[in-house]
Order: sequence, then C-alpha cells, then structure tokens
Amino acid sequence: MSALDSNEIELDTARGTDVPSPARGRRRKNASLVRDTGAGYAFLSPWLLGFLLLTAFPMLASLYLAFTDYDLFRPPQWVGWENFQALFADRRFLTSARVTAVYVLVGTPIKLAAALAVAMLLNMKHRGQGGYRSVFYAPSLIGASVSVAIVWKAMFIDDGIVDRIQQFFGMEPGGWVGDPDRTMPMMILLAVWTFGAPMVIFLAGLKQVPAELYEAASVDGAGPVRKFLRITLPMLSPVLFFNLLLETINAFQVFSSAFIISGGTGGPADSTLFYTLYLYVKGFTQFDMGYASAMAWVLVVVVGLITAVLFRTSKGWVHYSGDSR
Amino acid sequence: MFRSIPRRPSAAGASAVAAALVLAACSSAGADPDVAASLDPDEEITLRVAWWGDDDRAARYTEALELFEEKYPNITIQPSFVAFDDYWTARATEAAGSSLPDVMQFDSSFLREYASTGQLLDVSPFLGEEIDTSELADELIDSGRIDDAVYAVPTATNTLATFYDPGLVEQLGLEPPADDFTWDDLATWVAEASAAGAGEDPALYGSNDYTGIFWAFLQHLVQQGVTPFTDDGQLGFTPEHMTEWLSSGDELRATGAFFPVQRAQQLLPESGFTVNEQALEMSWDNFLAGYVAGTGVDDITMLPVPSGPDGQKHLFARTFQMAASASTEHPAAVAALLDFFVNEPEVGRIFGTSKGVPATQSQRDAMELEPGSVDARVVEYEELMADQITEPAPIPVEGFGALEAEYKRLGEELQYENITVDEFVEQWFAMAESQLGG
Repeated sequence: MSALDSNEIELDTARGTDVPSPARGRRRKNASLVRDTGAGYAFLSPWLLGFLLLTAFPMLASLYLAFTDYDLFRPPQWVGWENFQALFADRRFLTSARVTAVYVLVGTPIKLAAALAVAMLLNMKHRGQGGYRSVFYAPSLIGASVSVAIVWKAMFIDDGIVDRIQQFFGMEPGGWVGDPDRTMPMMILLAVWTFGAPMVIFLAGLKQVPAELYEAASVDGAGPVRKFLRITLPMLSPVLFFNLLLETINAFQVFSSAFIISGGTGGPADSTLFYTLYLYVKGFTQFDMGYASAMAWVLVVVVGLITAVLFRTSKGWVHYSGDSR
Repeated sequence: MFRSIPRRPSAAGASAVAAALVLAACSSAGADPDVAASLDPDEEITLRVAWWGDDDRAARYTEALELFEEKYPNITIQPSFVAFDDYWTARATEAAGSSLPDVMQFDSSFLREYASTGQLLDVSPFLGEEIDTSELADELIDSGRIDDAVYAVPTATNTLATFYDPGLVEQLGLEPPADDFTWDDLATWVAEASAAGAGEDPALYGSNDYTGIFWAFLQHLVQQGVTPFTDDGQLGFTPEHMTEWLSSGDELRATGAFFPVQRAQQLLPESGFTVNEQALEMSWDNFLAGYVAGTGVDDITMLPVPSGPDGQKHLFARTFQMAASASTEHPAAVAALLDFFVNEPEVGRIFGTSKGVPATQSQRDAMELEPGSVDARVVEYEELMADQITEPAPIPVEGFGALEAEYKRLGEELQYENITVDEFVEQWFAMAESQLGG
C-alpha cells in the first residue's frame, strides 16, 4: 500500500515537468508496472482464491490424509505408509485398477479412431456439412451427464432396445447391464459415442493440412490409403498426441456414468468398479478417507508417469510440420 | 494444459476431504446438553430436520412438520431429504464438521458410530420429562441406549416377515408355506416353485437368494441362541456360522432356483417380487405398502420368518428411530420435536405404518385403520406375532452399515459364481476384523 502511495506522489510531480528525464521515465514505467501488476492480481484473485482454497489446499490436505487413518468422525491418526501398503493387498483395489486399465487401453484408442474417422468424413466438402458437424457433436455435449447414463442403462437392460435387436438377429436374449462380461463393452460404447471433443480437434487439424500435399501425391499416383498413412497421419500427429493425452487422462477419471449405471456400487460383481468409483466407495460409503486419499495420490502418480512416458515416446512419432519450414 | 494434469485426478476425493476439514475448522463447540433450558415460547428458533425416503414419505413429513410449526409458532423447521445411501454420505460429511441437522431420522446400523464419537445428543435427561415415555416399552427405549446414555428415540417398530403373492403361488400350482414352516421347508418350497415356474414366459421363481440378506442371517443366528453382537461391540458369531448359513442355499444356487442375479441387478430399485416374477420375498413388515404399490397386487400376504430349531420364531423388533445432534443449540426445542414424533396422535395418523408400527398406543389408535387396509394388516401382523417377538434387537457394531453393504456385495458375487462360500466368509471376516480393529 505504501509503495503505491509514494508512486502516486511521484506521478504528481512528474506531471508538472515538461521534459521528462530518462530516470523519471523509468520510474514512471516502474510505477505503472507495479500498478498493472496489482490490478492484474486483483482481477486474478477470484481464480487465485479458488485455486488456493479449492485446489491447492485440498490437495495438500489429501496428501496429509493419505498417511492417516481418518473416518470423518475422529481426528486423523498418523499411520505412515500403512494405507499404501494396504492397497496392494486389497482385492477390490486390484480389481478397480484392472477394470480401469482395460477401459483406458481399449476404450481410448477406439474412441480416437472413431473421432478421426468421423472428422475425416466431416472434412469432405458437401452440402449441409455444418449441420452434420453439429449433429455429430451433440452427443458429447450431453454425454457426461447423468441423464445419458440413465438412457444408456435403459437401452442395454433386459428387453431394452439393444436386447430386442439382439433377439431379432437370433442372439441369446438378455440385457447387458446385469451381465458382468458385457458391462465393459457397454461402458466403452458410451465413451466412444461421445467422441465429439477429440473429433472437433481432429477436424481443426485436418483443415490445417495443406491441400497441395494431396495434389502432389495424386500426381505421383498415391491412392487414398497411402495418402492417409503418409500425409494425413504425420501431419496430424501433434493433434493426435494432444488428443491421446487428453483422452487417456479423461478415461482414467471416468466416474459418473459408472456411478449411475451401477447405482454407486461398481456392480454387477465389481465389473464397473472403476478406480475413481472405488475411491468414492472407500471414502463415502466405508468412511475410510485416509485410504481414499492414498488411492487418489497413487492415481496422480500413475497418470503423471503415463503422461511422462507419452511425452518421451512422442519425440519418435510426433511430426511438427513447422520444424521443417 | 499440462500444469493442470496432476490436479484433476485427485480433485473429486481431495476437494470433498478439504471441504470437511474447512467445516471442521469453522465449527463451534455445541451447546452443552446438560444445561437443557426449558423451551422459551418467544425465542425464534430454527431446527434442521433430515430424513431419508421417497416422495411419499416427504409428503407425510411435510404434513407432520407443518402441524408442529402450528403448535410451536416460534419454531421454524428446515427440512431436507435424500435416498438412504446418499443420506449417510451427507451425514458423515456433516459429522466431520460437527454440523449435523438438529433432528435426524436414524437407523441403528449407524448408531454406535455416531454415538461413540460424541455426535449425538444424549436424550436421557429429557426422557420422562419433555419426552413423555409413559407409553414406550422399556425394550424400545433400550434400542437407543449405549451404556447409560440414550442416543435415539423409537418412533416405530419393524419385524422381519415373509411376503408372498397369492396369485403367483396359485399360478405355480402350490400352496403357500404354513405359518410354522422351517428354513428347510422354505428351501424345498422355493425349489418346487422355481421348477414349476421354469416353463413360464417370463420364467417365475420361488424367491430371491435369501441367504444374501444380512438381517435374515442375523435372525437365523438369534434363533440358534447366538447373540450376533456382543455388548463390547464385537462379533458374537464365527465363520462356521456364516458358512453353514450360506451353504444352506448352495443347492438352490447351483440349480438356478433363486431369482437370477443378472435380472435382479437390472431391475433395481425394483425387485423380482415387485415385477411379479418371484412368488416370495423376505423383508421388513413396513415394506407391505411398497410391495402392494409395486406389484399392483392388493392381497400380498405376510407370513412370519421360518422357525428356528425349537419350532419358535424368536423374532425381534427393530426400531425406527429419531436422533438429535450433540451440537444443536436448542436442546429443549429438539426434545419437544422428538416428543411430538413419538407421542402426537396426529403423527400416527399421518405416517400410518410407512415407517413401521407406531411405537405408542395413542399413535396406533389414531391411525383409523380400515379393516383389510395395508396399515391394518401390518399392525395385525405385529400383534399376531407379539408373543413371538421375544428377542432384543441386535445393537449393531460400529461400521455395521459398511459390513452389511459388504455382505450384500459378496452375496451378489456368490450368485455370479465369482467366489465360493469359503471365499465369501473369508473376505467378509477380513473386512470385519479391519473395521472392528479386532
């Protein structure tokens, strides 16, 4: 505050002189810099406060709680690494890790492939393309919502639309929701169906690929497959990398759809017990907050490691066209 | 983007934990329950009241609470309600911040957890004073007692019962089980019913897997003279007890005589019984209204549970409770509200048997029972069973809610044939040991 006050005074005196000396000018610059910085922080403060109170503090608190036994009722008790050791002896923890790994490893590539395929379709020039784009993006606007999970459940339940189609084609009747072997395909289908966000990014990437590359390739006699492999994919690789990172991280955090479809239990028979869902069960139905916090931090580390590995490998396959220009 | 990566995965868990911490930091020490000032009719008081349940129950509460506000114009009620599971999540978070609602619908499954950590108001100073106990049986009051303190008042009682759908039973060409049936009789009956129903479309079944119902297991234990939970909060039964009980369903499970779990999972929150594909289901007697509404069959009939080895039922009545927060600032107003829930005849009329049979005679009398109505049948059932209700209800151990949920989950795994009975027992006891620190 006092610094600001003295700046005000100096500004007043500066106003009186017609010829600003270089030193004065610098001081004036400093003054306005300080003022701008202050204003900057002032404008930033809602976000900054939110970050500190709702993100940084909770993260630190959960880091502390990860090393405690805390049931919400009694004060946390320090237990050292006990929670982390318990994780690896916990059958359900290993189940949740496996379920999530399958979802990430299988679901993410399929989703990205679907997004890319649709993006390429929508990149072709024909009438009403804008309308198509909106239609294809629409599921993503609502895909993460509770209502879609409910609709999904209704579609895949006994006598739901999927069951009826199955029966029409002479397959065994029965919904997918109650069959532990078929809940994962159902969850992956839900994820794939909401391909809109990566699709839009792919589309933007496709628009950046210079048309003359394709023309030159055509002149050289390249077919569509070769064009895709040799031009589209390399040119798109930065966007692909970006989408891969984003979707991998998102997939690790899948929660609401599984929560709704399984009624918050991860059932049937733990087949939809995603990592975050088990974390929730541990924290909020078994009131083992220390354990849940430990799980959260294991996830942070694992996702961090995977991101680091992806970055490492990206040097080998991500091609930035700007480099060669 | 990259800077934000590490924070996202933990956000859900971390922020909730932090919210709890923040709450804990700001909360003030609660009013001392011992200095219960008498209710000042001029003081403006707001009480928060919470319950779990559906719209129907909410409507009943609203009507009752409006009546209470009329009687005590200086007291304003702030109601809130959610489903059972979410209810306990919300309460636990509030408990962490000592900000529980003043008055809560309560379940004995959670009583020890909340009472032993000082979250609940000891209402024993009010009993016989602000809270009239002249019509309350001692064993009902004891259901809320831990050591010398009373943490919950009973508003209604529930007893386990066996429900069947007479129409379905007839369709299966069977007679319903007799009142004095045994657990073996039940198993035989279920096998016959499911065999008879196999050819129907959709297939009909005798029962769901009742060995997966934790309370049925406890009832079975009590019949054998085993006290499920000891006074010091430990288990009174052994792994062998559980193995024997679960194995009694082995043959029915192996032959597919129980209502299939795949279908049951998809029907939730309905059940095979409420969609008319299952002839019999065991549950609490206050479920009758829900069953009649769900099945659309008015003459759903109630039997007692199967008899124990000595031919007796050894039933116990669980109480439906109301409890108060230890941090309430208005203990006198809270006591007035608890008294209202227990003794006000109008409350008996408003709730009927939807929470069980009212605990006091004046509320039972106020129900204006129409002969043959759902309420009348529930009351009739408990009156008929009165001489069979001979056992005290088990006071659940700490963490009972989680143990019951684990039992249910393992029961599903068992029906999916993912685990064996031995693995079930081993996993359940492992969790019990870690919960009870035994």
